[in-house]
Amino acid sequence: MKPARFDYVRAESIAHAVEALAGAGGDGKVLAGGQSLMPMMNFRLVKPSVLVDINRIPDLDRITQEAGVLRLGALVRHRMTAEDGLVARHIPVLHAAMKHVAHLTVRNRGTFCGSVCHADPAAEMPMMTLLLDGTIHIASPRGDRTMAARDFLVGSLSTALEPDEMVVAVDLAIPEDGTGWAFEEFSRRHGDYALAAIAVLMARADGRMRNVRIAMMGIADTALRFADVEAALEGREGTPAAFDEAAALLQAAIQPNSDLNASADYRRHLAGALARRALAEAWQRTGETTGGAA
Amino acid sequence: MTAFDASVEMRPRLVGQRIKRTEDPRLLTGSGRYVDDMAPQGLLHVAVLRSDQPHARIRSIDVGEAFAVPGVVAIFDAGDIAGDFKPAIPTSRMKGYYATPFRPLAEGKVRYVGEPVVAVVAESRYAAEDALELISIDYEPLPVAVSKDDAAMDDAPLLHDEAGTNVIISRTFARGDVDAAIAAAAVVVKGRFRMTRKTPMPMETRSYLAEWDRRRQALTLHSSTNIPGIICDVLGSCLDLPGNRVRVVAPDVGGSFGGKGSLNHEEMLVCVLARKLERPVKFVADRMEDLTAMSQAFDETIEAELAVDADGRLLGLRADVIGDIGAYSIYPWTGALEPVQVVSFLPGPYRMEHYRGRVRGVLTPKPPTGPYRGVGRPSSTFAMERLMDMAARKLGMDPSEIRRRNLVTAEEFPYRTGSGIIWDRSAFQECLQGVCELVDYPALLRQRDAARAEGRWVGIGLASYAELTGIGSRIAVAPGMPINTGTETASIRIDATGAVTAAFGISSHGQGLETTLAQVVADELGCRMEDIEIQHGDSALVPMGTGTYASRSAVLGGGAATKTARVVKAKVLKAAAFLMDVPVDDLEAEGGIIRARSSNATMTFREVAHAVYAQMGRIPHEQREDLVGSESYDPYLGTACASTHLAMVEVDPATFAVTVKRFAVAEDCGRIINPLIVDGQVHGAVAQGIGAALLEEVVHDEGGQLLTASLADYLVPIASTMPEIEILHVEADLPNNIGGFRGMGEGGTIGAPAAIANAVSDALAPLGIEVDTLPVTPDRLFRLVQAARGSARL
Repeated sequence: MKPARFDYVRAESIAHAVEALAGAGGDGKVLAGGQSLMPMMNFRLVKPSVLVDINRIPDLDRITQEAGVLRLGALVRHRMTAEDGLVARHIPVLHAAMKHVAHLTVRNRGTFCGSVCHADPAAEMPMMTLLLDGTIHIASPRGDRTMAARDFLVGSLSTALEPDEMVVAVDLAIPEDGTGWAFEEFSRRHGDYALAAIAVLMARADGRMRNVRIAMMGIADTALRFADVEAALEGREGTPAAFDEAAALLQAAIQPNSDLNASADYRRHLAGALARRALAEAWQRTGETTGGAA
Repeated sequence: MTAFDASVEMRPRLVGQRIKRTEDPRLLTGSGRYVDDMAPQGLLHVAVLRSDQPHARIRSIDVGEAFAVPGVVAIFDAGDIAGDFKPAIPTSRMKGYYATPFRPLAEGKVRYVGEPVVAVVAESRYAAEDALELISIDYEPLPVAVSKDDAAMDDAPLLHDEAGTNVIISRTFARGDVDAAIAAAAVVVKGRFRMTRKTPMPMETRSYLAEWDRRRQALTLHSSTNIPGIICDVLGSCLDLPGNRVRVVAPDVGGSFGGKGSLNHEEMLVCVLARKLERPVKFVADRMEDLTAMSQAFDETIEAELAVDADGRLLGLRADVIGDIGAYSIYPWTGALEPVQVVSFLPGPYRMEHYRGRVRGVLTPKPPTGPYRGVGRPSSTFAMERLMDMAARKLGMDPSEIRRRNLVTAEEFPYRTGSGIIWDRSAFQECLQGVCELVDYPALLRQRDAARAEGRWVGIGLASYAELTGIGSRIAVAPGMPINTGTETASIRIDATGAVTAAFGISSHGQGLETTLAQVVADELGCRMEDIEIQHGDSALVPMGTGTYASRSAVLGGGAATKTARVVKAKVLKAAAFLMDVPVDDLEAEGGIIRARSSNATMTFREVAHAVYAQMGRIPHEQREDLVGSESYDPYLGTACASTHLAMVEVDPATFAVTVKRFAVAEDCGRIINPLIVDGQVHGAVAQGIGAALLEEVVHDEGGQLLTASLADYLVPIASTMPEIEILHVEADLPNNIGGFRGMGEGGTIGAPAAIANAVSDALAPLGIEVDTLPVTPDRLFRLVQAARGSARL
């Protein structure tokens, strides 16, 4: 369990980092928190020719409020996201999700953007980025670009990032004031990768659900949004019957895998159970003032 | 039974006290010294290319450009070292047994995924691993029978052709007429219980460093082992070296749980290579290598049937056990250690006349199974305690009552079980009663019923068991094994400064024996604890010692310490009597001071020692003796140790997660040397037992490939898994053993899985679910509940 030989570049700036990536001939890797990358290198599942360490680049470790979004820089650690006041006030669902992210030592190093780039189908960050209509800020020697999270997250451990590109920040949309939210996750032990998880956002108007957003993970090759189920709930009253119906739709929509920890049948059951809990919880929270952007 | 009464007998000064572990300051401040910390000059590192095939003939090995990797010194396969050692043979007197030869590298064919095939020696582990990537092995795959049931078939492909069968272990224990007892019984319950495969998972991985001394033609192996004496003996014979030219040292060792209690391929390998290359050679397993190739545990299926009369009295038990022992019979314990103990201990701590237990141990293409904290008893207790609860349910009797009616009582000791084990006095009944009082059992039942009325799945489970600890020379630790596990030696000397050095053949790897043995020696000798250094974990310390395993070191080490300290104390007092000119009977020693009762005159140990050693002629030469002693202790039968565990769990009907709400243990480990350490052992072992019950499972797929090769897939308990553990110590008297100590390092792993299985079954009793496989994972519970409801839709 020792990594193969690699060159190491300590990037002084974003320009320096992407230049080094471009120079690696498609074989470079960005080192931020290293909580997924280093084990994969030790297993020799990944053998980058160049490791570009971005940890000394200034100003990337910031969470800032921009127009309607929170921007998380490339060096924002999980622990910062978990403890950040802006996150807790404006996106409480993300604050709640952070409690499920790994263990203290991992949270101290691992980064939000790194997790989004790693695109593990059972990790919280890609799912929350999808839920919050995230925008990915990408730099390369060819210039900067942005991309919607749904286009960025391609598949299991796979994104639309080019080899000479790095993610410099992720924007998460701040839900409108009064949005109800819920985050439900189940794993074998606290902090493990989820067997299944669901996050829900919804508003309430005239006693009915509005602007419902549902994201799940652990139930497919990637985290998913469920536009059809969201649409089916739009304008409905928040009743147990509606939640049961939505849970059934979700169960029908997913194609979970069987693995060591959970069979597909159990995962589908779990998805339904968590969905019912989360939808009811989110509905209950609608109308609470969250100090949102609106 | 009389409990040890501390109020009547004057308690010695140190034994019985909650003294903080003296080894902890060095371990907690990073001043410990593990094998991986050692880097002698000229050190070489080994990386091992392991089989990716479960069963295959090695056609050829191509090292390609591996020698060109900078830093690579040598590459070896089995052929390159064939003349350098003799294989280790785990012999046994069992009938029909075949002892599989054990070698450093696979010879001719491989028999499990992870078996070492090629060793690369290099200046760094990095370089050695770079070279591994360039080596290719051409295998001719051979047919495999991966499951133990398939491997036991007559026409199954043979893993060891020479054995002529995969079933190399076959035993039956019987008493009475169990078939008639079952036929006539009012109530019969049966089940097919499966304790899945586990891995011991010590925090420190297996680490070995061999040094060859060219001048002395002698070998020193630094090993993360808990059996240095056994390893020393076998290496001497495999490498053809006399005992004075092989030394095995276990420095600080970061846990074993059984995984470091057998001979390992890589342990032999570094010794062979160090002698061949005449340079120090080190192998440190990474986590994946330990998960892949460290000895594993359990993996039995127990089909058992229990007959009970209408009053809940046990009549007979019939069992058929099949154990998956993996690809080799492990040295020295043999593959019989685990499965045979399952049938030995299956009758449990109960009075029961009729018994027949049949066991087969089957070779399969998986890592060998070996010792694991609890050996055999976690599986046997799981099956028997499940049957007890199933019988109670059928009779409408409370689980505590059926146990009370059947646990051997104080008047019945010594009691011989149907398998031939003799239970000597231990607090069987008192532990059951004790744990029920500790938790207020009737109140707990009411709490459960109230939760149940709300539709919650809450259950309570009991598990009673007894085990043999500190086994003496009458019984081999493993069946038919020709190794003396029944004695231990202590060697104590006082030097000219009055400092006391006490050396043992045991080997502490987390038990805190440096603390507990110092407590015993200090009390017996009458010196101060801080004047004592306990030495252990080194085959050169005493003529014969095997190590620390099978809950033996407090019993055997403590007994040897007591006997030896008494001999040395007599010499100290004799010298003091001469020096102080008083009769020896007038002297007492405590806290390093020798006092004459009549005159109150005193001398310190230091003064006496100085007079004996440093002042020539102070004591006449014909009376002068060195202040040393060396005695061994053999408890002959060993000691029984009893316990009852109680678990209260809640199952989440939505996720099927099991939460342990309460856990209580009442245990009898005899006279307690250090309650702090005993509590720690119980906590640790219960945690491990909860892991076995809820989380841990080594999984090989149908092709023999390991699926749980990382800690993301092999789940061990973590802090948030653990409940508060309540403990009651019942210190039953043990008059026939020196010190009155019983062994207690393993028990938690024995009781906890059964207690949790019973609690989960109780929680799901409204659905009629009986847990028969551990770990009881959410996915397994989901399927059980789904089947019970007879519907796919929940």
